[in-house]
Amino acid sequence: MDNTINSQQMNLFDKLLDKLCLTPAGLFGLVLLFVLPFIPPFNQEYMLRWLIYSGFIASMSVGFDLTAGYINIVNFGYAAVAGFGGYTSALLAINMGLPTWLSMVAGGIGSGLLGLIIGMISLRLRGIFAACLSWFFGLAIMGLATKLVWLTRGPLGLRVPRIFEGDSNAPYYFIIIILLFLIYLVCKWIVRSKIGLAFQAIGQNMDAARTSGINPVNYRVFNFTLSCAIAGVLGGFYAHYYGILTPDIMHTSKTVEVLAVAYIGGRGSLWGGAVIAFPFIFIMEIVRSNLTNLPGLNLVIYALVLILVMIYYPGGFSYFYEMNIRKTKNKILRYFFNGRD
Amino acid sequence: MSNNTVSKFLTWTKSAAGISILATILLAVFAAINAGPYLLVNTIVTGGMLALVATGLTLMLGVLNIAMFAHGEFFMIGSLTAYYVFTPISNYISENPESFVAVIGPLVAIVCAMIVGALSGIVAEKLVFGPLRRRSTDNWVMNSFLLTVGLSVLLINLHQLIFGTEFKGIVGYWSGMPISIADVFVSRDRAMAFVIAAVIIAAFWFFMTYTKTGMSIRAVSQDITGAQIVGIDIEKIVLLTISLACALSAVAGGSLLFMYPSYPTVGLEPLYLAWFVVILSGLGNILGAVAGAFMVALLKAITVEYVGSGWDFVIPSALIMLILIFKPSGIFGSDVRGALDK
Repeated sequence: MDNTINSQQMNLFDKLLDKLCLTPAGLFGLVLLFVLPFIPPFNQEYMLRWLIYSGFIASMSVGFDLTAGYINIVNFGYAAVAGFGGYTSALLAINMGLPTWLSMVAGGIGSGLLGLIIGMISLRLRGIFAACLSWFFGLAIMGLATKLVWLTRGPLGLRVPRIFEGDSNAPYYFIIIILLFLIYLVCKWIVRSKIGLAFQAIGQNMDAARTSGINPVNYRVFNFTLSCAIAGVLGGFYAHYYGILTPDIMHTSKTVEVLAVAYIGGRGSLWGGAVIAFPFIFIMEIVRSNLTNLPGLNLVIYALVLILVMIYYPGGFSYFYEMNIRKTKNKILRYFFNGRD
Repeated sequence: MSNNTVSKFLTWTKSAAGISILATILLAVFAAINAGPYLLVNTIVTGGMLALVATGLTLMLGVLNIAMFAHGEFFMIGSLTAYYVFTPISNYISENPESFVAVIGPLVAIVCAMIVGALSGIVAEKLVFGPLRRRSTDNWVMNSFLLTVGLSVLLINLHQLIFGTEFKGIVGYWSGMPISIADVFVSRDRAMAFVIAAVIIAAFWFFMTYTKTGMSIRAVSQDITGAQIVGIDIEKIVLLTISLACALSAVAGGSLLFMYPSYPTVGLEPLYLAWFVVILSGLGNILGAVAGAFMVALLKAITVEYVGSGWDFVIPSALIMLILIFKPSGIFGSDVRGALDK
């Protein structure tokens, strides 16, 4: 009832925003991200590299949050799945001569299949057991990537063709931002539909969800497949952006990095991790590159923030945003932060 | 009467625990004949130490429901302490090789590692787990697990920040001729490492089974509310358990310093292996963890022997995954779903 009235009142702009799952503030942020490389301090090459890395982690955290925040299973082998996609994509591009964008899609499909397998075999397990299973799976894949030297060249690193000729990193930045937005859009559309409701029901109480007629099998497997396919595409981007691929991308510490960003951003929000990744990774990189005599300080800060958020503010940034910023009294600001609802 | 014992034994051999233990023993005998007894010695030394780390992990899981990801970092703390305590001692020993310090010194370092491990466990509880427990216990298993992930990153990088990334190792604790057992030369350090592990595990088992404090720890692991009703001070037990678990891990790190020099990420390998053990033997099962530790150590030794080094994560983890799929409660565990399933 409310919905029909509201949709009649909406003008075209609001409808478009609603379809794109953005608030005016979100649109502003997106536009800001697009013009950021032209604004003076950020137009230098090294700043651009940090921004690309932030975009990569942001996109990963969106895909990660689809599993962790909705069906409440932490996929601890997420980086390994991304690395698998990266290797698939790189090997296809090298050995079969596939164009890089096509091989990235193939990497996504490969990782999706891997996600299908993980989802299937972890079906009987809950909570910490499922997390352990995906973790061991990730360890096994990383071991394989390290040891199959004839295929992956192991720790020596695989040289991968880059997406674009030339040295400029600007095109990569726009690609990762577009990827970030597309991933967010796909996840948000799914989460807004009935499927998302089923995800949340499964995440909160699987037995209750089953009692009310939701078959957890399909939903859980679908969720894993989609989230891993996203990781695969991003792994492909990572491979074709850096031009060199080592098994390090599959390491558990990479998963922890994504996990920290997703949780500080706020679990179950999708956009929280994406928003927080940019300032957070950026500050970390500044600390790392300016205080080279104190190696590891950035990760100490990282871990401290994660611990403090976990203990004292488990909702993360998105909860803070919902509680404080969105509820503003000012009408214009209210529209800016909420859209027409 | 004797007939009854035999039939009981036969039933046991048909259970998952029986099958896996018998298979392990057969495999060990076969490998020892095929590749030489040194494999068995390696298995026993690593298995003993792994048992220490895994017991601590199981204790945390069983009593506190904390799926500890930072357990390897207490191993690292132990090895770091032992290094800094033992370096001046070894300088003294090299000047006076005949003094009694040559025998006692290494033990002092290992005991220091244990004490520092216990203290750091208490600090972790006071600063990290306690506040979370007081704030909320909703979704405790997952939240505390993620907290330990943060703790792990923090400790690894604090080590890097303060002590640097270079390998801080020693040549050996006890100098002297290796001991010869069945044509295999075992260095004194390895033999002592096994003796230390055996003594500690025996003492720990005795403590858990016969002392009043050990019984109350087991009571808390079975049922917190019930334990509270009979007047057990939960806060005290929690603190004791964490410090015990961390001390076990740290003592393993201290006594293996000659094999694993201390560096920031030294704890990752013991952590992975200890998790394999815990999943294999079932969460929160202490005696099962000891048996599981030897199984995993054997599996690792055999993988290195027959497939090649570097595969020792691929094959064990594949096997553990199979166990997780077909028997999620572990081979010694019961099928009761506990708090950890949520």
